[in-house]
Amino acid sequence: MLLVDIILPGLVLGGMYALIALGLTLQYGVARIMNLSYGESLVAAAFGAFSLYSGLGLSPLAALLLAVPIAMALNWLLYRFLLERLMRRGKDRGAQEIDSILVTFGVLFVIQGAMLVAFGGQYYSYGYLSIPLTIMGSTLAVNRLVALLFAALVGGAVYLSLTRTRIGTAVRAIAVDANAARLVGIDVAALSGLAFAFGGGLVAVGGVLISMFLTFNAAMGVVFTMKALVVVIMGGVGNVIGALVAGLLLGVVETAVARLVDPGLTLAATYALFLGVLVIKPTGLFGRAAS
Amino acid sequence: MLEVAALSHFYGKHQALADIALGVEQGEIVAILGANGAGKSTLLKSIAGLVKPAQGATIRFEGHHIGELPAHLIVERGIALVPEGRGVFGDLTVAENLQLGAYPARARAGEADRLARILRLFPRLAERMAQAVRTMSGGEQQMVAIGRALMSNPLLLLLDEPSLGLSPLLSREVFRALAEIRSSGLSVLLVEQNARASLDIADRVYLIESGRNAGSGPASAMKNDPEVQRAYLGKARAAPSPP
Repeated sequence: MLLVDIILPGLVLGGMYALIALGLTLQYGVARIMNLSYGESLVAAAFGAFSLYSGLGLSPLAALLLAVPIAMALNWLLYRFLLERLMRRGKDRGAQEIDSILVTFGVLFVIQGAMLVAFGGQYYSYGYLSIPLTIMGSTLAVNRLVALLFAALVGGAVYLSLTRTRIGTAVRAIAVDANAARLVGIDVAALSGLAFAFGGGLVAVGGVLISMFLTFNAAMGVVFTMKALVVVIMGGVGNVIGALVAGLLLGVVETAVARLVDPGLTLAATYALFLGVLVIKPTGLFGRAAS
Repeated sequence: MLEVAALSHFYGKHQALADIALGVEQGEIVAILGANGAGKSTLLKSIAGLVKPAQGATIRFEGHHIGELPAHLIVERGIALVPEGRGVFGDLTVAENLQLGAYPARARAGEADRLARILRLFPRLAERMAQAVRTMSGGEQQMVAIGRALMSNPLLLLLDEPSLGLSPLLSREVFRALAEIRSSGLSVLLVEQNARASLDIADRVYLIESGRNAGSGPASAMKNDPEVQRAYLGKARAAPSPP
């Protein structure tokens, strides 16, 4: 059935987008770092999962246990020893943003270069749980459903901890007003570092899950950075629920366009949707009116 | 409990504060009067750790030097600032703002009791716990800001222009709340453009002009000081123009 053919894979793809947009929300919305190397981290995690699977026969789901802590540690170090210092030196928000863009642009090339050396430019994929399954007349590989399930679990857990715990509320408070956050006793620098690290952990989850069903190569990180950025801006910067909804929406729209029109037009559709939202609601679907 | 001496601050080359000295004792309400731009906000921000004082300043609280501490650790010592413009988290709900007020470790014990007390002090907030703060009126946002500061279990409350932009009615409600807060033993350091209301509620007053101490005394005496009446209570024919 055509509708199910679009909705199911659309939700799978959208779930991935929502997950990586959630991570970018933490890095950009909370820690105020526009991380251009975001997509490269995702691809690096995908290569990590690929290597563990093809080399050691380790399942990608087990690889998560390794990839996430490593990604979090690396992101925390990057924030603590490079980005935070630059941010402290920046005179204002604009200068800080330019600094963070320049630094992470450099990090992008470092990660990409390392991956090109190790894996070359060709496309990779591996067959984990690629068992066809028919749901309501539509056929889908089991690995996609597993990826969606994990994305939902991780995304749900992150959402709940951001909205239902004191420390999660503190993280959102930093996104709303970092100066006021200091006044209620929040150690903004420390918690921003933690948020940045968690963002890195989420993009690693995204990379490992995506590697289960998409082909990838060392040079395609920028596509994921752009899509995560589009989703974050569409949902409203710093808005958790906005990132989740916009991610799912984008996945379904892209799949619909690929299925009904032409797969070559997915990126065009992404930007049409993005521009449409920006024209109608410049602060994003769930963003508040500019004050 | 609070002792400030030789406090100076520069914004670039402009000196906002020059050798300020002041003190607040346990259970007092102390008001700071001064014209716009006299440095009153900078003074409160220096105490709260939001701006760094120039070298040589002494800020002691409960006998400890706090001048070098970052803002979040000063809250932990028991000083809560309600900044000018309120500084509430507009996108978060009233409940979340109040919960964040209790973020410091010193505020965790007795949190539920304190929340109940604050909701008795500002009954309006009790009805609106789930509302996003940015959708509320200025007066209600001020109540959230004061309530949030009280949630941190402070010993000293710093208030920067709490009645700015409020209707006279809401202003009165805020001052009534301050009197109640003091009766619970808290000390208050207040910066206010409403000199009359401040003099009525305060125990002692400091005058600040162009970033310098320009006099101090008990509020009852200051109220009758002709200089103060002329400069702050508008009892002359016209407001004096600066020289």
